[in-house]
Amino acid sequence: MKTFNELVVEVLKIPEADIHDDLSSTDVPDWDSMNYLVFISRLEENFNISFTMDEVLQAKNVGDLRKLVEARAKK
Amino acid sequence: MEARDLTLEQIQIGDSAQFERAITAEDIAAFATLSGDANPLHTSEAYAQTTPFGRPLVHGMLLGSLFSSLVGMYLPGKRCLYLGQTLQFKKPVFAGDTVMVSGIVTTKSESTRILTIETTIAKNGEAAVTGIATVQVLA
Repeated sequence: MKTFNELVVEVLKIPEADIHDDLSSTDVPDWDSMNYLVFISRLEENFNISFTMDEVLQAKNVGDLRKLVEARAKK
Repeated sequence: MEARDLTLEQIQIGDSAQFERAITAEDIAAFATLSGDANPLHTSEAYAQTTPFGRPLVHGMLLGSLFSSLVGMYLPGKRCLYLGQTLQFKKPVFAGDTVMVSGIVTTKSESTRILTIETTIAKNGEAAVTGIATVQVLA
């Protein structure tokens, strides 16, 4: 299983050293609408979790997604 | 043939689809024209005979394009939005070969409507091209 940050690097093409929780689509060239959905599906696959559509739409930055993953992982 | 019309709800992990396709010399010539890849390894019998392959190879991307048929016509078919595809070319395919193109759903995301599909092109039962397709199933 990959880490959250490894998937950020792989899918959103952000160097690991540049990852922080406030990163959003406005900061990341590869964070387009389609790639964002691919990133979500990779998180679900990797961590064996499922998000709701509302959660996907409401997440605004890397930190929101990290919190969602952590919340699911605790269940 | 019309594209199948599978909805996300109708597709489950493990679902599969396959079809057979004979590759002809005309396919190679047409792909060379269409793509601009007229490399003699694909288009020149004389040149190909000087290589370890001995005869012209089918373009890897011609074979890869069959995955577009797989997802666009069979799995999921009409509602497919093709988001990505990885490809590994493992064995040579030649004019006159018949290949089996297949895919099996390995992940399904309800929230994003994205499927990942393991895709394979096999010749005589052996994988010649493999890869992963990422597709969204439109509502």
